[in-house]
Amino acid sequence: MVISDATRTAIEQEIAKYPLARGALLPALHHVHAEHGHVSRDCAAELAEIFEIRPIDVLEVVSFYNMFYDTPQPRHHAYVCTNLPCSLRGARGLLRQLEAHLGIRAGEATPDGRIALGHEECLGACAYAPMMRVDDQYHEDLDVEKAKSVLDALD
Amino acid sequence: MPRITVDGKIIEVPAGRTILQALDDTGLLMNGVDVPHYCWHPKLSIDGSCRLCQVEVEGMPKLQIACNIPVQDGMAVRTDTERVRQAREGVMELLLVNHPLDCPICDQAGECKLQDYAFEYGVDSSRSQEPRRALEKRKDLGPTILLDQERCILCRRCVRFCDEVPATGEIRVMGRGDRSVIDIQDGYPLENDYSMNVADICPAGALTTKDFRFKIRVWFLEDVPGVCTGCSNGCNLHLGVANNKVQRYVPRRNDSVNETWICDAGRMSYQRIGAGDRLSEAQVRSGGSQGTGRLETVGIVAALEQAAQKLRRVVDSRGADSVVALASPHAGNEDLFTLRRFCDALGVGASGVAVVRGDSDALLVKAEKAANAEGARRLGFGDPSDVLDRIRGGQAAAAVVLGHDLLDPSFLGATDVLAGLDTLIVLDTHQSSLDRVADVLIPVRHPAEKNATLTNSAGRVQRVQPAVEPAWEAWTDGEVIAKLGALLDLDGFDGSWEPREVSKALSQELPAFAGVHLGGVGDQGLSLQGAAEGSDPETGGASA
Amino acid sequence: MLEVPYVTSYLTEHFADDSFQTLEGYERRGGYAGLRQALEQEPEAVAALVKEAGLQGRGGAGFLAGMKWGFMPKETDQPKYLVCNADESEPGSFKDRILMERGPHQMLEGILIAAWATGADKTFVYVRGEYAFAAERMERAIAEAYERGLLGEKVLGKSFRHDVVLMRGAGAYICGEETGLLESLEGKKGQPRKKPPFPAQYGAFGMPTTVNNVETFSHVPHIVNNGADWFRGFGTEKSPGTTLFGVSGQVQRPGLYELPLGTPLDEIVYEHAGGPLEGRQVKGVIPGGMSMPILPASMLDVPMANEFLRERKTMLGTGGIMVMDDTTCMVRASCVISYFFRDESCGQCTQCREGTGWTHKIIERIERGAGREQDLGILEDIAGKMEGQTICAFADAAAWPIQGMLRHFREDFVEHVRLGKCPFTQSFEL
Repeated sequence: MVISDATRTAIEQEIAKYPLARGALLPALHHVHAEHGHVSRDCAAELAEIFEIRPIDVLEVVSFYNMFYDTPQPRHHAYVCTNLPCSLRGARGLLRQLEAHLGIRAGEATPDGRIALGHEECLGACAYAPMMRVDDQYHEDLDVEKAKSVLDALD
Repeated sequence: MPRITVDGKIIEVPAGRTILQALDDTGLLMNGVDVPHYCWHPKLSIDGSCRLCQVEVEGMPKLQIACNIPVQDGMAVRTDTERVRQAREGVMELLLVNHPLDCPICDQAGECKLQDYAFEYGVDSSRSQEPRRALEKRKDLGPTILLDQERCILCRRCVRFCDEVPATGEIRVMGRGDRSVIDIQDGYPLENDYSMNVADICPAGALTTKDFRFKIRVWFLEDVPGVCTGCSNGCNLHLGVANNKVQRYVPRRNDSVNETWICDAGRMSYQRIGAGDRLSEAQVRSGGSQGTGRLETVGIVAALEQAAQKLRRVVDSRGADSVVALASPHAGNEDLFTLRRFCDALGVGASGVAVVRGDSDALLVKAEKAANAEGARRLGFGDPSDVLDRIRGGQAAAAVVLGHDLLDPSFLGATDVLAGLDTLIVLDTHQSSLDRVADVLIPVRHPAEKNATLTNSAGRVQRVQPAVEPAWEAWTDGEVIAKLGALLDLDGFDGSWEPREVSKALSQELPAFAGVHLGGVGDQGLSLQGAAEGSDPETGGASA
Repeated sequence: MLEVPYVTSYLTEHFADDSFQTLEGYERRGGYAGLRQALEQEPEAVAALVKEAGLQGRGGAGFLAGMKWGFMPKETDQPKYLVCNADESEPGSFKDRILMERGPHQMLEGILIAAWATGADKTFVYVRGEYAFAAERMERAIAEAYERGLLGEKVLGKSFRHDVVLMRGAGAYICGEETGLLESLEGKKGQPRKKPPFPAQYGAFGMPTTVNNVETFSHVPHIVNNGADWFRGFGTEKSPGTTLFGVSGQVQRPGLYELPLGTPLDEIVYEHAGGPLEGRQVKGVIPGGMSMPILPASMLDVPMANEFLRERKTMLGTGGIMVMDDTTCMVRASCVISYFFRDESCGQCTQCREGTGWTHKIIERIERGAGREQDLGILEDIAGKMEGQTICAFADAAAWPIQGMLRHFREDFVEHVRLGKCPFTQSFEL
């Protein structure tokens, strides 16, 4: 079993909130990501069983959403918003600096499996640009030094 | 019934239908009223994403998709305005932006809706100089289907088909935006009994069958309407003929029988027509009987003369009731009507039909693996037990056997018992181990090689016509029996046999067949009198 | 991050006080008085009040909220649902986030009043997945409400039951489209549904549903407390009330400004937000989130309300005001914009899927210096073919910015083609 008992219980609790069980699929996927960081084939099969759908139905949903992955992920995701308001305030230059700092390109992960660096679309922090999302946290009003120290502090 | 105007013409359409459904119901769609479309299919759920079927509806400012707008009394629809023309042009141009220029190597060419509508409604040349997406072009989806993701226009017909018809759901659209692709999951191949239908419904060449890949260009094919002979459902189809050979079957629409589908096994049964084990020589055993001696090739007439001689000898010595007959559930109504008359005129001891049974499903596949089992029964050929018992028990001295179904384990299982017959006359389309024991072997025509009617399990009589001509001397079962009857001086047999006349005679003799004959059933068939539309004695409920 | 608007009004006046986020603090400031009042009235009366007040939806479409509530069937055996669209993903918009983080109970009260008015049994709050903090704040407020009997079997002791379920999205802009949201809520890809049927007939899980925006709900308690006339005292005749304008980009004071609808755009940009950065001039402003056509600096003297903005071929949208100055290359900006729409298209409709891809490729090629003269006509043509012909308005939203750019900043594009490169050496990096 890939999905732990604790997560299964959490999923069952989510299912209870919805008129149709499948409504809890996105919450379940969030729980699975919290536990494993991605949805493996086996995981998809187990979720399919819980929700009485097909494994490909699970993977189809995973493939549609930015926050879901079907391949193993590094411990942290660091995404710089590069949409228009943020770009107007230097977001892309900041991203380049972070690429240099980590020694990787956006879309790649550090070899030690620590950080995946990337860019995202508008995160709803337009007046506090440039900014980035690191996992569940926003880091706003960034300059290069601040951004670097946020990344350096990640385990 | 609501009345709407389409391009100025008033038409009455069924209530509760969308514009496209209503046009389809009234037979006008692409046949008087042009509403080109991709994602809509008459037998699948409504999708609404291709946007090609946009039409103008008076009173509605935006163009509406005809596939989703419910018809209302008094609605005025226009399919021929400049706005509609431009909308179609827009959709076609955008669809072709990422479409690979594969026509020269694509099986779909010639029957491709992308080609057809681009030509009819699209732009002359491409304005795009952007690189196209590069995806998998030869993906093996399973035993029967290959996928070219680049050719896909994302109409989602295949997705809906697999969900809604066989309900196996193997195909999905993965990803988002212009990175969307259709795909299966590794380890879960496209593998269901109806998989090859996705190649029919794919408007482009994204999904093609392995069987037909690179076989022949479709414009060389003549499409002959016919019927599948794999089971008693009688799915309607087109035989694709070129070079006097059936190159493929594709389903033909019949809303009373198979809608627009056919099972994979039925579709592949075209291979039986030109198979290497066709019986192609009339043969007579000489130098011994009861399973010894050798078979010698002669002409059909010569073979029948010998057959008549042997039968006369048996009748004279043991009486006519020592002759038994087995009809073939694969022969036509006309053939079997002649056999019925033969049996009655001769006074055979017993007759019947052996029908091999197999798996069935809730969709199209029936248990009886022959196209005319019901026809045989209607013509008085019933349970074959009496015939087989007489053969086993020695009361039968001669047998006239059509087909080799009696060899199936559910009947005789082997030829041994048949060796005990004095005279065994066999009419068949294919070779079998009956050649070890038959005294006379006559090659007969396959339903794809003759004019005939077949009665499906729901009592619907459908016709077939000759699509190919055997390369050898072959008669229909009816012609053979008619000649045999004449050679035996049986009452009513003058040796002539013409299928339309025989069919008419049949329909005049049997009340259930009144008005239902070769010349009258048309391409969609007709139900026998008293056979309720859609009822099926085999399943006890609605057929497909 | 907890940010406070620079200019406040009735929605945000208490936002600086952290305790406003708690039930206790909210009630201390008069919270849930509106709900109590509404529960004393007939549901129809409450709905009529909101309709009379003329509250327009604040999610971008501007549809009258009271009218939308009226679409819900009155007599039915089926459960009825409300959905709070908290999927705010329109670039340039961040007001809903702050409304949830700093005024969760205000929104919740609006939801409860709406539930009473429409007879809804349950509300699903769909929060975009990236708004983890806002979701946490809402969950906390919901828990407090349950604890206090503001949610559950008997709301405030009345025979009115209501439940609220919060669900997080997972990163897809199109889930902010009403029916795309419903699909996602049901655990599927967020691909918008064809209409008919409409959500009021067939919505969440097939049941009658009304979808409203975070801010729309947030206005409701104030309308109930103070009446329709009071509400109409703010804003314009056709567009009453305040809204939270979010100013971003190349201005002195990017941030949130709660101002009446109809406030002139130039007033917001130059006075409230302090105008352009040192030594620069304003070149263009996108007034309502990135889907809305841009206005050049010469056309900013327009009241920020739909009836006026429409005359200038743009719209209020979500009030996300993005300011670009004279260093900015509009082709480069269009690259960013068209990339976004290409990325976020759900992929169903031909024109949207292929159109967003093609236009992005062309614009990117022009920026690179490989543009041709005919490209501009092609862009306009594609945009025209995307408009008004798809399952949802995303294709329109993708087409409008291109049309706006070519309408007002065609010279930028022409220069790229003529020079074979981007002449804006000072522009933001791409």
